[in-house]
Amino acid sequence: MPLVLAVLVLTFILIHLAPGDPIYILAGDGGDKAYYTEMRAYYGLDRPLPEQLVRYLLAVIHGDFGYSFTYQQPVLQVILGRIPATLLLMGTALALSTILGLLLGTLTGSRPHTKLDRVITALTLTVYGIPVFWLGQLLIIVFAIWLKWFPIEGMVSVRDDYTGIFYGLDVLHHLALPAISLTLSQLALTVRLTRTTVREVLGEDFVRTARAKGLPERVVVLRHALRNALLPIVTVIGNEIGLLLTGAALTETVFAWPGLGRLLLSATLNRDYPLLMAIFILVAVTVIIANLFTDLLYTWLDPRVRYK
Amino acid sequence: MASRKKLLFGTALFLMLLLTACNGQPTTPNSTNNPKSGGTLVVAMANDPGTLNPDITTAFFTHYVTDQVFNGLVALDDHLNPVPDLATSWSISGDGKAYTFHLRSGVQWQDGQPFSSADVKFTFEHGLLKYHSRTKAGLTPVLSSIDTPDALTVIFRFKRPYGPLLQRLDVVEASIIPMHIYEGKNLLKDPANLMPIGTGPFKFVEYVKGDHITLQRNPHYFKAGLPYLDKLIFRIIPNATTATQALERGEVDYVDSVPGPDISRLRNNSQVTLVQGFGGSGGSLCQDTLIPNLTKAPFNKLDVRRAFYQALDRKFLLDHVYFDQGQVSTGPISRQMTWAYSPDVRSYSYSTASANQLLDQAGYPRGPDGNRFTVTFTSASSFAQLGQAMREQLKQVGINLVLESLDFNAAVQKVFVQKNFDLGIASYCNGNDPEIGVRRLYVSTNIGPIPFSNGAGYVNPQIDQLFNQAAASTDRTQRAQVYAAIQKTLTDDLPYFWIVDTQGYHAYRSTFKGFHLSNNLFEQAWSTGG
Repeated sequence: MPLVLAVLVLTFILIHLAPGDPIYILAGDGGDKAYYTEMRAYYGLDRPLPEQLVRYLLAVIHGDFGYSFTYQQPVLQVILGRIPATLLLMGTALALSTILGLLLGTLTGSRPHTKLDRVITALTLTVYGIPVFWLGQLLIIVFAIWLKWFPIEGMVSVRDDYTGIFYGLDVLHHLALPAISLTLSQLALTVRLTRTTVREVLGEDFVRTARAKGLPERVVVLRHALRNALLPIVTVIGNEIGLLLTGAALTETVFAWPGLGRLLLSATLNRDYPLLMAIFILVAVTVIIANLFTDLLYTWLDPRVRYK
Repeated sequence: MASRKKLLFGTALFLMLLLTACNGQPTTPNSTNNPKSGGTLVVAMANDPGTLNPDITTAFFTHYVTDQVFNGLVALDDHLNPVPDLATSWSISGDGKAYTFHLRSGVQWQDGQPFSSADVKFTFEHGLLKYHSRTKAGLTPVLSSIDTPDALTVIFRFKRPYGPLLQRLDVVEASIIPMHIYEGKNLLKDPANLMPIGTGPFKFVEYVKGDHITLQRNPHYFKAGLPYLDKLIFRIIPNATTATQALERGEVDYVDSVPGPDISRLRNNSQVTLVQGFGGSGGSLCQDTLIPNLTKAPFNKLDVRRAFYQALDRKFLLDHVYFDQGQVSTGPISRQMTWAYSPDVRSYSYSTASANQLLDQAGYPRGPDGNRFTVTFTSASSFAQLGQAMREQLKQVGINLVLESLDFNAAVQKVFVQKNFDLGIASYCNGNDPEIGVRRLYVSTNIGPIPFSNGAGYVNPQIDQLFNQAAASTDRTQRAQVYAAIQKTLTDDLPYFWIVDTQGYHAYRSTFKGFHLSNNLFEQAWSTGG
């Protein structure tokens, strides 16, 4: 709770420090001084900053996140409308990168320095180095334009009105490329970490015992080594949620995916303070919850860990 | 486990392919030139409009949509001459102080209510004159009242003769909104702002934030036979490259502005038509204009300004930075404003020799490092490439240009509000009449912390007087003479550096026709069905 408050105050100060005034975007060009003064008073932008901060905090406690300047709608409404789209994209990317990451990491960790290890490492690191929006554009060129397997933009096809199962398939069809972009851009993290921890664990005594017992290699790696290697990986995955949100912002822009990341970008450029504040709070709270969740997961995975 | 996943994936893939296959419909192409009814046009739009009330904002994205749903009293043709829209005829009193409009009878709002002069009066008094930046600033000083003697007549009365009224009354500058919906409400926040009801060719269906806006044909539109299209969908695609690719693929049909590097590729695509326009929902006849800070050195000296202007190879900039999207500017009024544009001005051709000589004369000799002086170019990041090109050109005459590239908001703040700059830049749109968009750069009363005002700080009482004179006449020939004098004086004084009269490219699928160069109206667009 105090953490959230600190985030709120810091964000408020930072946003207002940035040069730029939302009034000129809001009110349009070509007006005269009287017009802008009026508009500023209307939006409450002419009050001194500390007063604005206090008013905002009081409002938030009552669940009122204010009105978005650019959308002329309650902020909460604007954000809630976009959450499903972002959840879908981020959730898919998180799931895919976790599964693929664990898979590839275990493979390379149990066969270090082989050709397979080298090839996978090289590929994942190269892809990691490519900025996610460029990666998105590349995928568009190859899979949407040359091969025509997937559409270029949006969440659903705008010309057709699908319902039911066809709607779901249409969404999946549109989800493929953005999810793959986002996944690939974060994959290397999980792969490398898994590889390292698996290797480490495979060198430990209990593994030698398991092998000595005559257990098949697959059982040794999966049931004994991986289980123990999961601990640091879980932490990284928890952190990834924050990274995915920023990556999602760029991916959503390239693929015209109607999510929160894009909303964050346009709110920043438009200096839509109420909307920006609310999105930052949402991100902060999500990261805090994610960390809480990974901490709890720790205790389940490792009975030796207990919290007071 | 693995094989079940494979089966699921395979089925999904197969079904997806099936879907895409079903999307392609075989049709017989119609190559006649007669417009026919039917079809859906998908238009790419880079940003969410936020609000769909055209009277409280001048924002491009709002107007891109609302210009299709509403009407103005008049419409403007490709030469910016007024033609009937909601008004069928008009007359100007002899002294130029009263404009009488006769309104079309039988016009209905899209909810079935009848349109009348009360809507016009309400639109101005409770909407435009309170919340629309351009109308408020431009009309409040001169308008004395709006009278409605009967349901089909509106009279605008002015304190002094006012020439440019008709150019301020089209749907882009003054959309007429329904009084029966907005009366007594807060126009800035009313929920009706998200479900607009107009008199225009298309009616509002839905607005899915961040995704798209759907409009469909208004079957009771007062222009018989129009619109031709059944549906108009605005798809929100923030990235311009993605929008262009979507156009090539057929996911969208119309793109308002094509990024320079994509132009030649689209030109070679037979399924896409490219045209150059000069007007639209955000502003017409725009000129990219450099803004020197006249209140301090070095730009306070005329010789320095003249040298600077001659050191720029504007033809090169047009070809390589603007990808030929426009024409080199010659002065403060765009060539496209054909009645007011005057070529009889002082010209500044590209000449490093003249520039060097003038700078020596002005007392700025070259230093030991070859530089005469340093100026900082403060701009929005969209002008970054222009800055880089200019820097190279200015090196030849010993001017060191430092580039300060900020986001749009911060750049506007620094140049116009804080006035902490040497050289800025803005795309100033002339508007439908010089009174709307040209005057504001040059009159001394418009110097202040306002964006897109007289940012250079130019003070010339003669110019102030000339602009007032030009606005006070209703005779275009007379006004043209005054503007000619203005252009001559301004090119002599050179308070700003006009670079390019921009004319962006629109691109659309070749199966569509009926688009305009001077505006973004889709009223007459039609699909050949191919």
